[in-house]
Amino acid sequence: MTFQNNNTNKISQELDLGKKSTAIKVSNLVKRFEDLIAVNDVSFEIFKGEIVGILGPNGAGKTTTIRLLTGIFKLEDKASIEIFNEDITKNLNKYKINFGIVPEVSNAFSDFTVWQNLKFSGGIYGFPKEKIEKRSKKLLEQFGLIDKMHSKTKALSKGLKQRLNFCLALLHEPPILILDEPTSGLDPISVKIMRNRILQLKKEGKTILITTHDMQEAQTICDRILIMNRGKIIADESPDNIRERFKSTSTILFKIDGVLSNDQKNTLMDTFNIIKEENDYYVFSSDDAIKDISMLYNFSKENNLNISDFKVKETSLEEVFIHLIKKDSISIGG
Amino acid sequence: MITDGLNRIWILSKKNISLYIKRGPVLIFGLMFPFFMTLSWVIGRDISINHVFIGIVSMTSFFTATAIAPVVLPIETREKSLERILVSPISLNEILLGIIIASTLYSLIITSIITIIFILMFSIVFLSISIIFLMFLGICLMSILGSLLGLLAAANPTDRTSDVMLIVNLIKFPLLFISGIFIPLQNLPSNLLFLSFFSPITFLVDLLRFCVDGSNFFTYQVDIIMLLIWIVVLFIVGYMLHKRTMPKRLAETGKKKKMMMMKKKMEVMSKK
Repeated sequence: MTFQNNNTNKISQELDLGKKSTAIKVSNLVKRFEDLIAVNDVSFEIFKGEIVGILGPNGAGKTTTIRLLTGIFKLEDKASIEIFNEDITKNLNKYKINFGIVPEVSNAFSDFTVWQNLKFSGGIYGFPKEKIEKRSKKLLEQFGLIDKMHSKTKALSKGLKQRLNFCLALLHEPPILILDEPTSGLDPISVKIMRNRILQLKKEGKTILITTHDMQEAQTICDRILIMNRGKIIADESPDNIRERFKSTSTILFKIDGVLSNDQKNTLMDTFNIIKEENDYYVFSSDDAIKDISMLYNFSKENNLNISDFKVKETSLEEVFIHLIKKDSISIGG
Repeated sequence: MITDGLNRIWILSKKNISLYIKRGPVLIFGLMFPFFMTLSWVIGRDISINHVFIGIVSMTSFFTATAIAPVVLPIETREKSLERILVSPISLNEILLGIIIASTLYSLIITSIITIIFILMFSIVFLSISIIFLMFLGICLMSILGSLLGLLAAANPTDRTSDVMLIVNLIKFPLLFISGIFIPLQNLPSNLLFLSFFSPITFLVDLLRFCVDGSNFFTYQVDIIMLLIWIVVLFIVGYMLHKRTMPKRLAETGKKKKMMMMKKKMEVMSKK
């Protein structure tokens, strides 16, 4: 117990890594919509029992990646998908049973009741009637939908519809769950319930791929984060690692007295690569705080501006995310 | 494996029947249209009861069979339930067969009820049991054929039912008018008679004429073979079209918004 040093820690970590078996391995995913490349040569690997979050701004290619992975969109020739080390690129239908998919917007049959939707899904997966009923009731109880089982799906609120989506995705007990922005638009209580449920599913051994806009969500539940922008993965690390990598990066917040002219504002935005404006503060990430602070001081003097408040703080994951997206967009030439 | 596939097709058919038979377009184009068309054709005219019977049975069979298929795919595309079906282990064949069976059963049940009521009400006499069998065979084939025709029109990758219904009606009415329902084939001018060979309803009407009063133009064997040929052709063409348009259907409806979003974003960035 006491005999532990850095080397043994490293070795045990490597051994742990060696034990990890791959649940999903995708290579060279590409999707074009006419002249627009929505997913551009995306490759990643997800290990069994991991929760991996795909983060990115709207239109980054998150949902398209999921649609390629789940067989909604046809794969291009050089793309390949392996599930539990089995190449299933050519036989999409056979592996679909491994996936439980929770979409962003409910895609259950709106004129069916909750119970009819579950019965339909169970039947499609070839389960006997008794098993469907038993499993459906268990899931409805777990997700607090048992008293709504005879309600029409279209009569449910967004939160309840999302719970039904979880029930439908889990009905056939898939080892892999794919959640497409599962908490988007839900009230805070429903979000909390969903997140706890996702963590519970991880404990049950499920491998989970989740797309989200929500940094807090990614930080709370994900083991690893893939950040996507313009159809490409620009970062693939654990939330802690990403923050560690940007430890030297600070976030500078400042407030300027008075109203800026458009020209002044544009120059300010371009000079300091402002990532957002929040409560009258301009916010930007800085790799060299001292240099940037002196630049800001000079800028205010040259433009006769009065900086009324000024703060330097550690960069949050959200700011890292915005920083990475901006940096990627600039490097592409946007 | 085959049993699993058949089970899935049956589950899909049951879903289609229970979800779509009460939809507005199905009721309007499947039931109201043939009813009012028959009324406007019959009222004030001296038409024999046998002739009316042939017209009603043909129109009901054709209209009801073409009513469900155009509704299913656009609605499921719009409500995204098609995506839900496609991420489960279901093939395109199974989805299409589920629609064909639902549509055929709907047409068969409605047409059979109308036929039996009409036979009982107006005491229509058939020469033998085999003639009755032949008549129901014709109705069965027309139900399948109509379903396939509706499915063919539904290959248009849209999420609006009206788009598909427009195509179906554009095909349906000309086929109906040259089919020999309103004017017997014997009385058609030669150019229209030639065109009538390209309407599948012609062969059902002719088969019914053989069964009811023997005023048929072709032999009943020709009628059945032609109906079968139409079924095979429509199935192959429909399947190929759906296979081609399904990715477009999923891509276009699902990505329209995101593409617009991305293009806008790129425009803003390039301006910067």
